[in-house]
Amino acid sequence: MMDDFEKQLQGAFQRKEPSPFFEARVLGAVKRQARERRASVRMRWATAVAAVLIAVVGSAWQHQRSERAREDSAGKEAKARLELALRITSVKLQKISQKVEGI
Amino acid sequence: MQQSEDAAEPRTFASVLRAQQSMVFSVAYHFLRDRASAEEVAQDVFLQLHKRFDEFESDAHISFWLRKVASNRSIDYVRKRKSQGAVGLEDAPVPSVDVQPADHFLNRRLQVLIGSLPEKPRMVMILRYQEDMMPEEIASALDMPVRTVKSHLQRSLAMLREKIDRSMGDVR
Repeated sequence: MMDDFEKQLQGAFQRKEPSPFFEARVLGAVKRQARERRASVRMRWATAVAAVLIAVVGSAWQHQRSERAREDSAGKEAKARLELALRITSVKLQKISQKVEGI
Repeated sequence: MQQSEDAAEPRTFASVLRAQQSMVFSVAYHFLRDRASAEEVAQDVFLQLHKRFDEFESDAHISFWLRKVASNRSIDYVRKRKSQGAVGLEDAPVPSVDVQPADHFLNRRLQVLIGSLPEKPRMVMILRYQEDMMPEEIASALDMPVRTVKSHLQRSLAMLREKIDRSMGDVR
């Protein structure tokens, strides 16, 4: 049960109204906040898509590079084998030529 | 779909804002004693409400949440201002009050005295006498034990009674 003093306190703490524009200001801020949130979601999506693109392009480039390096090394190996075969052939031809000149 | 408990029309953020703006603003205003700061805090509270609006199941839940967040935001606002070296609210001017002339002096005096209370007891008094909340509800809103709320109320009331009696004696 409240006494007179407490009732006086209730009087001192009566509710007050905010300024007449408060409601419109809050609704405006809510709209702004929603717009910012949508923009932030779009930005996060764009960042994610860009990251995926960079990863895909990067790994494709890396794959292409290693493929080229593999091809280069296979080419060098083939060239070395060809040179060896040519050298052997040349030596054999030289021997045949010497035998032919000796006859 | 969310429905107001006392009406058939659906509950919308705008309808809650319209119905509760006076309560939220008054909690902040009586605590901060400054209209601009109180509107800033109240706007913040409603922006936070909007973010979680779909989580609320009833008007009572919204009211309780608004009181709790308005109280805590107001306390945080004062602490932040103090940490930034701003003038303490105890030194702030007493706002104009729309009351009957006979009560004017006493109400002004009460507001000055309540403004001089520490933050938590001051908010306890506001929730008790503005919002007519019971000590159990205040304890839940401010995350403090019920006995602490009761002790704040008793001590604040005793202090206010004594100072008011003394100042009335001075006037006489």
